[in-house]
Amino acid sequence: MTTAGTRPERVFVLCCPELSCSTVASRRAPASFAVAGPRGPEGPSGRVTPTAGSVAGGGSGGLVFTPRENTAQSFERVVAVVIGFCPRVEVVEPGVCAFAVRGPARYFGGETVVAAKVAAAVAGLGVDARAGIADGLFAALLAAGSGQIVPAGGTTEFLARQPVSVLDDADLSELLHRLGIRTLGDLAALPVRDVVSRFGAAGERAHRQASGWDARPLAGAPPPDDLSVAQEFDPPEANAEPLVFTAKALAEQMHATLRAKGLTCVRVQVQVKWEDGRENSRLWRHDGFLSAVQVADRVRWQLDGWRTKEPEEEREAGGITLLRLTPDQVVRATGQQLALWGEAVITDRVARAAMRVQALLGHQAVLRPLLEGGRNVDEQVTHRPFGENEEPSRAKDQPWPGRIPGAAPAAVFPEPRDAAVTDRGGRPVTVSGRCEVSAPPQTLAVDGGPPREITGWAGPWPLAERWWDPDSASRRARFQLVTEDGRAWLAAVRGGRWRIEAGYW
Amino acid sequence: MPTVLPGARGQSEVPAPGVPEAAVLPVMPALRDLLPRGGLVRGTVVTMPEFGLLSLALAARASADGAWCGVAGISEAGILAAAGLGLDPERTLLVPDLGSAWPQVVASLLDGCEVVLLRPPSRPSAQARQRLEATLRRGHGVLLVAGDWPGAQVRLRVAAQGWTGLGAGHGRLRACCAQVIADGRGEAAHARTCWLWLPAEDGSVAIADPAEIPGQIITDPAPDAAPALKVVNGQ
Repeated sequence: MTTAGTRPERVFVLCCPELSCSTVASRRAPASFAVAGPRGPEGPSGRVTPTAGSVAGGGSGGLVFTPRENTAQSFERVVAVVIGFCPRVEVVEPGVCAFAVRGPARYFGGETVVAAKVAAAVAGLGVDARAGIADGLFAALLAAGSGQIVPAGGTTEFLARQPVSVLDDADLSELLHRLGIRTLGDLAALPVRDVVSRFGAAGERAHRQASGWDARPLAGAPPPDDLSVAQEFDPPEANAEPLVFTAKALAEQMHATLRAKGLTCVRVQVQVKWEDGRENSRLWRHDGFLSAVQVADRVRWQLDGWRTKEPEEEREAGGITLLRLTPDQVVRATGQQLALWGEAVITDRVARAAMRVQALLGHQAVLRPLLEGGRNVDEQVTHRPFGENEEPSRAKDQPWPGRIPGAAPAAVFPEPRDAAVTDRGGRPVTVSGRCEVSAPPQTLAVDGGPPREITGWAGPWPLAERWWDPDSASRRARFQLVTEDGRAWLAAVRGGRWRIEAGYW
Repeated sequence: MPTVLPGARGQSEVPAPGVPEAAVLPVMPALRDLLPRGGLVRGTVVTMPEFGLLSLALAARASADGAWCGVAGISEAGILAAAGLGLDPERTLLVPDLGSAWPQVVASLLDGCEVVLLRPPSRPSAQARQRLEATLRRGHGVLLVAGDWPGAQVRLRVAAQGWTGLGAGHGRLRACCAQVIADGRGEAAHARTCWLWLPAEDGSVAIADPAEIPGQIITDPAPDAAPALKVVNGQ
C-alpha cells in the first residue's frame, strides 16, 4: 500500500495539561521521557494529582493546587491568545490546540521564536502549557509532551525512538510490544504489506503514524462567526411556539453546516435579542449529541426561564427580534459516542429535568454532591453543577486525624450560624490559646434566638490546619453541645467567635 | 383506595425501561411500621415539621435501590449523613436555592426524580399545591415535605429525642433515641408511634428496644410545634 501525498506540514502543538480532560500528550507520553521539573506526578487522567501522603497533610512539598473552576473558559482564553499568532487554530481536544507553523515561523522569524512567543503569551494567562513542533500532528503531540522542537526532517528519527505505547490503539501497541516490536522505528521498518496482512486497517494506520505520515491534514477552525445561524423577526415575535419552531430549523441548519465541515461543537450558545435592545444568552452542553429537536427544547426552557424570572420586564421588553445559535468550542467530529455526562447512570429523564431547572435558575443552581476527604463536616461534601465532571481533590479513603468521630450531622450549614455561649454567670465562654475553657458552658443562643439550656457538652477539640499556607490556614476549637430540647450541635470557636457548623437532629 | 397500578402510567413518563414499577418505594426496615403499606406510596406527599435525619432516612433506601433523589430548598442537607444511611450521592440532585418560582422548579424535579425532598421557601397557594400533586401522581414520585402541606397523606414528626454519650465536658455524641409519631389521612389515619435510634451508634437507623430508652428524654422538643403535637387521630 503506497502512501499518497506529500510529507506532512510542520505543526505546532500547545498542550495545557491542567485544562484538559484527557490530555493527548500526557496520555501518550511514555514514562521514559517524563516531564522535567518539580511537578507532581501525573495521574492517568493527565491532571496533576497530589500524592496520598501530601493529601493527608504530611508535607506541603512543591504542590500547588490550582482552582479548576472553569477549565473550558480558561482554555478558550488560551485559544484566543494562540489565534493572535495564527488565525487558523485547530482545537484537537479540550486542552490541546494545534496550528500549521510554516506561515507564522516565516513572519516571526523562526519556529523557535514562535514557540517562545506563544509560551510567553500563554504564561501571561497563568496557565501551565507545553509547546512542541514537529512534522505532522501525531509527532507534534508527542513533541509537546516533552516540550521539544523537532528540527525539520528529524521527525522520522524522533518517532523511531518512541515506544509503541504512544500509539492510540492500546490493544495493538500491547500486542506489538509482546511480539518484540518495542519502538515505532521497529514498526516502521517492517514492510507495510506484511503489517496490513497481519494487523489489518489498525496496523496500517499505526504504520503510517510510525513512518511520519499523518492520518489527516490539520483542520484549522474557521472563525466561529461563520458557523452561527440566526433568524431575525420583523415584526418582533412574542410567542414562544414560533420561536421554538424557528430554533429547530436553525439547529438543523447549524448541524448540517458543522457536519459538512466534519466538525462538532462542545457547547451551543443560544442568544436572544429583545425588542428593547436587551440581549440574553446562555451556553448549553452539546458534545455533538443533541438533535435539532433537543436544541429547540433548550431554547424553549431558556425562554421559559427568562419569562418566569422577570415577568414585568418581559412585558416591557415585548417580543424577540433575533434568535441566534452559535456553536461554541468547535472541534473535529470524531464520531465517538461518549457517555453523556461521563457516567452512563444519568437517564434522559433525569438529565431533562435537571436541565429544565438549570434553564429556570441558572447553571449553578442544580448541583450534584461529591464525597471527599477532609477534617471538617463542610469539607467532606463538595458540590459541582449538573453536567460538569470533577474528581474529588481530597482522598476519601485516607485517614483524616482530627475528624469528629461518630455519626455525621444531618444538617451542615453552608454558612456557619452565629452563636452565643454563656456560662452560669451569663458571661461569654472563651477558649484560651492553650485550649482551656473559661467556664463550663450553660446556655446556647443561635442566630440571636432565645437561649437554650445546655445539658451536655464535650470539647474543646482543637484543629489547626494548613498552618504553612497563610491563605487557607485555620485554627479552631470544636465542641459538641446538647441542649434541653434534645438537639445536639457542632460548634466551633474561631478567632474568639462561636459558630454553629452543624446540627444533629 | 387510590391504588396505583403499574401499567397505568402515562406513555411519556415511562421511567427506566425494563424495570417493573412497584406501587410503593422501599424504606429502611426500621421505618416500615410507621408508613402505610410499609413504604412510600407513589404519588403521595409525606410531611415532617422540619428537616432532619428522619427526612434523609426516608429517602435513603429508595435511592440505594436506584431511584433518583432531589433535595430542594434545603441548603444544609448533610449528604455525608445521608450517604451513611444508604443514599447514593451519585443519584442525588441538589437545588439549594429555589427562587420565587419554586413550584415550577419542584415540578421539573418531580419529572426526573422519584423522591423529592422539599422545604418550601414560602407557603404554597392551594393552586400551586394541587398542580404539584397532579405532577406527582403523573410522574409516580413521592414528595417528602419538611414543612406544612395541607392534605398530605402521611405526617411524621419527632415527638421526643435525646442523645446519649455526652457528659459535662467529656464523651462524644453516640446515638439518639427518638420517638416518631405518624398519622395522616386515609389508610394512614391510624396514628402509629415508634421509638427509633436516629441514628444508632453505628450510624444506621434501628428500632429502639423499650428497655434501652434513656430515662432523661425530654418530650415536646419544639414549643412552636405544639398545636401539631396532640393530634386527634381520625378514628
